[in-house]
Amino acid sequence: MMDSSVKIINEWDIVAARQLGRNVAKELGFGTVDQARITTAISELARNIYLYAGQGEITIEKIESGTKKGMTIISRDAGPGIPDLRKVMEDGFSTSGGLGAGLPGVKRLMDEFSIESTPGEGTLIQSVKWLK
Amino acid sequence: MSFRDTMLDEYKEILKTYINDQTEQALYMSQKFSRKSIEYKISPEEMISLHKTSIMELAPDLPESLLLSLDILLEVMMSYGLAYREHQSLRTIQRELINEIEVAANMQQTLLGTQIPHISSVDIGAISVPAKQMSGDYYHFVSHENGAVSVAIADIIGKGIPAALCMSMIKYSMDSMPENSHTPGDVLERLNRVVEQNVDPTMFITMFSGLYNPGNHTFYYSSAGHEPGFYYNGETGAFEELKAKGLLLGVDKKAKYREYERKVEVGDAILLMSDGVTECRTKDGFIEIDTLVGYIEKYIHLGAQDIADKVYKELEFLQDFQLRDDFTLIIIKRTA
Amino acid sequence: MNISIDVQERDHQTTITLAGEIDAYTAPKLREAAFPYTEKQHANVVIDLSGVTYMDSTGLGVFVGLFKSLNANEGTLELNGLSDRLKRLFDITGLADIMNINPKAEGGI
Repeated sequence: MMDSSVKIINEWDIVAARQLGRNVAKELGFGTVDQARITTAISELARNIYLYAGQGEITIEKIESGTKKGMTIISRDAGPGIPDLRKVMEDGFSTSGGLGAGLPGVKRLMDEFSIESTPGEGTLIQSVKWLK
Repeated sequence: MSFRDTMLDEYKEILKTYINDQTEQALYMSQKFSRKSIEYKISPEEMISLHKTSIMELAPDLPESLLLSLDILLEVMMSYGLAYREHQSLRTIQRELINEIEVAANMQQTLLGTQIPHISSVDIGAISVPAKQMSGDYYHFVSHENGAVSVAIADIIGKGIPAALCMSMIKYSMDSMPENSHTPGDVLERLNRVVEQNVDPTMFITMFSGLYNPGNHTFYYSSAGHEPGFYYNGETGAFEELKAKGLLLGVDKKAKYREYERKVEVGDAILLMSDGVTECRTKDGFIEIDTLVGYIEKYIHLGAQDIADKVYKELEFLQDFQLRDDFTLIIIKRTA
Repeated sequence: MNISIDVQERDHQTTITLAGEIDAYTAPKLREAAFPYTEKQHANVVIDLSGVTYMDSTGLGVFVGLFKSLNANEGTLELNGLSDRLKRLFDITGLADIMNINPKAEGGI
């Protein structure tokens, strides 16, 4: 499996992560709408790292399952973690302002979504988009 | 075939019609199309993509710059799409909440239900209308073994669900009150201690507690900061405030409640109300006590329940049928 | 349905001047604005109500809350400039007996 990562330290790294995601999405044959959805999800995740964790990493993986093809976005940081996961997954809670943004937005844009977070240790988010 | 399968053709048709001859008809068709696409949950970014695909087929020689500009538009619409989807999901949640409140309101009605007692020589009527779904007003009757009737009317400061929860607590402490302690002052002192201990410090309750003894036709009463009731003198036609001093429930656990009494003759009446009655506002200002007394006077010859219903109708009309506060009115009329 | 809340702090005394209506919609604003001043030890809070045109029971609840909070922190509360209607509200509820309440001065100062 090919995979590649972008370290997120400053705001410009968000652009690099988007670019990486878009290239992979294009290669896999995602249409323009799905490309935009995938890059928006990457943007949100990278922005969260930049704003709340200080630094972290976005990894893009191509995946296969039976005849299905798709990609996984992995967001990993060693930031303060999220004390109340249920709250951040609630609509209308986003603290970074902006309607519909935040993790619920990412979940909606992608097909699969999982999150693990330990206060004081960091957060790991994995989300998958399948090619239809 | 579903809308998703046919929407590209439909959209292309509309676009073609409009490009050929800019008719209002085509614009109207596009409005109808957008209603349908919302119904089928087509997101804004999908619409841009649909537009781009359509226009590329209809006009293959469009300048590259125009097509590229649509990529930017699509990206910009992403956040709108997310906001839109969040809105949809919040709407669902809102609908669920409204349903829950409706169920709770029905439960409250059942929970707080009280029977108007029937005793000879006294006619009793009561009406209570909440301003919102959940009422902050409460009234309760208890018939005692010796024939006497206890009446309590309370107003929870603070409205809605918190007030309703608070009221359930009052209701249960009233129900568990021993049969030998139903004098109005006692009732208030006991409740005051319960409220002081259990209720949020910013929540308070006013209550008027009364006891009608048909043995000597005397009405005993105490007030915990509640709007004074009225005594109607059937002989002279005069109204008099049932003045009673006493602190709100829940402010000071050592508060004492003085008991007052009033002899009731045939044709006299006792009127109790919540402050929704005297605090109700019309577009021209407040309803004055005189106005209220005027209405009661107008209907005093009727049965107790009729008086309550009619007075409510008049006040509702005065407020353009928009109640700003819960409304409760109790009439106790001696008939023989 | 609006309220204006003006707060001035001088010589260990907080003066809050209110104007408008105090009802279910504006009461939370008032509570939020005034509450922090009641939580200091030995605070003296004076509230001028001469500009208040309407107050319902929710508003009254705020004043009881402020009163309780000041009592707990050994502070004092003074309410000034009450109209007849407002005065009546404090009288009926028995609060006039336990709070320091001054009706609107006749003819003004």
